[in-house]
Amino acid sequence: MFTHKKSMWLFLLPGALGLMLFYIVPFFGGIYYSLTDGSYKNAFVGLTNYVNIWQNQMFVLGLKNTMELSLICAPLVWLLSFAIASLLNRLRPRGAFFRNSVLLPYLMPSSAMLLIWLVAFDYGGVINRVVTALGFERVMWLEGAPLRVPIVLLFVWKNLGFAVIIFLAALQAIPEPLYEFARLEGAGFWRQTFGITLPMIVPTAFLVIILEWINAFKIFKEVYFIGGAYPDETVYTLQNYMNNMYGKLNYQNVTTAAYSFAVIVFALFGALFIIQRRLIRRLS
Amino acid sequence: MEKLQYRPGGGSKLMTRALLMLLAIVMLVPVAVTLLYSFFSPAEIKAFMATRGSYDAQKWIEIKLSPQLFSLKQYDQILIRDISILRMFVNSAFYTVMILLGQAVVTPMMAYALSRFRFRGRDALFFGIIMLMLLPFQVTMVPNVLTLRSLGLLNTVWAVILPMWFTPFYIFLIRQFMLGLPNELMEAGQVDGAGTVRCYIHIVLPVCRPIIGAAVALSFADCWNLVEQPMTYLSQNIELQPLSVMFNQLASESSGIEFAGAAIYILPALFIYLYFLKDILAGVQLTELK
Repeated sequence: MFTHKKSMWLFLLPGALGLMLFYIVPFFGGIYYSLTDGSYKNAFVGLTNYVNIWQNQMFVLGLKNTMELSLICAPLVWLLSFAIASLLNRLRPRGAFFRNSVLLPYLMPSSAMLLIWLVAFDYGGVINRVVTALGFERVMWLEGAPLRVPIVLLFVWKNLGFAVIIFLAALQAIPEPLYEFARLEGAGFWRQTFGITLPMIVPTAFLVIILEWINAFKIFKEVYFIGGAYPDETVYTLQNYMNNMYGKLNYQNVTTAAYSFAVIVFALFGALFIIQRRLIRRLS
Repeated sequence: MEKLQYRPGGGSKLMTRALLMLLAIVMLVPVAVTLLYSFFSPAEIKAFMATRGSYDAQKWIEIKLSPQLFSLKQYDQILIRDISILRMFVNSAFYTVMILLGQAVVTPMMAYALSRFRFRGRDALFFGIIMLMLLPFQVTMVPNVLTLRSLGLLNTVWAVILPMWFTPFYIFLIRQFMLGLPNELMEAGQVDGAGTVRCYIHIVLPVCRPIIGAAVALSFADCWNLVEQPMTYLSQNIELQPLSVMFNQLASESSGIEFAGAAIYILPALFIYLYFLKDILAGVQLTELK
């Protein structure tokens, strides 16, 4: 560890200045816009904008959809990636092909995959062939509420792999002697899972859900790809609202919406963090 | 003795393999089919795409797995005859290269300062970075826009490039890796008379190769799939849009060449994937992420 070194500034300054300039200073400076009325005089209006935005139907709709979509996507990726990592861990030290193919989509531009998605989810597409083969009615995937399915699946397809390798690394880091000892004591598969595996990976599980949730909050690309710039109201996200307001140069609504959302995000992650600390304390 | 060799679920490895095989197929098929369709003739693709959107319950879209005629016409079209797609591809490449170059300079340096130096306010700064990391784009877009507007950079290429240089996630990722480096490494350098700068260039950077490789690959994935930033920051400038924003339109009015467009967009990503695969795996494995 270096202390009292002037050269530190050389390393720190470029990044710190950039963060200050593009994120931190305007983040606080922008609060000004959310507290004024945007007119010629730019009068101070207190929290009026915040009260108004909660009565704005499009904002509430966008927020609701963003929350719902992220609450579907993040846990789905979380659970699936844990299940897949567990399967891969069983094949250790082999299974590299499976691991690598799960990771491939993470590097793929989902923008280029949308063509195949549209073909597959068409009314006469492969997905509906499977649906009818299973004895169900065809679904109009690209309209109305079912739109969420191809959108969520495109998100999951792309983001699964990274979560899998994080979980896999954590599973492989659990020392094998722990299991051997448990087996000598006569612990079965489930005892081993609940007694060793789960407690050992709680911090990783927490990290993955946070990373995936951050990702899922941003969900918009997939909506734009599959639903277009003006999508059905079941997939109208907060980003659609922001783009709209931004296009109209309505900085008051853009900033107010952003800060309202920031408060919600911090509250959620704060709660998650407290849960994690309690959980770790109880398990150890 | 037998009990000792028992591994959890050891008997059902076949089932595990079958499940994972199915998964691998689901993961790979969309990419494979896109590449395959790029070798169909434009006329065939156009006719094929036109069969979409029919709500006749008697009709199915054909499942095409081989072209009537293996053809390079789509590539000929987009690479030679009409280069509008190629131009957007070049835009994408330009943004990606510029963003990665900036990140390569800024990010490891910042991570080095945050992990190997002790100074007042370090923990507060790191806390701030974590907070920024948690914020979704809808929120950080606002401060970005305010700065870009006052610098007069909106609707120029810099609007997309500059804010991305300081993406907090990669600072976090590389810092976590550097924290795990043994102190003896720096001390050995100092004994040899190396200062902080030489330690950085000759010791830290080479040792950080896996995590920097991983960060490059992950960041490439972001840059190559940019949508939100160009849509908002470049909303008045269609010529500057990267290809990732335009597939939407290519799909809605099929001109028969969209799959070659997708294929040339996938190829660099495939290359990066193959080149950095080992680094991603090693980087994630060696980093104390929690």
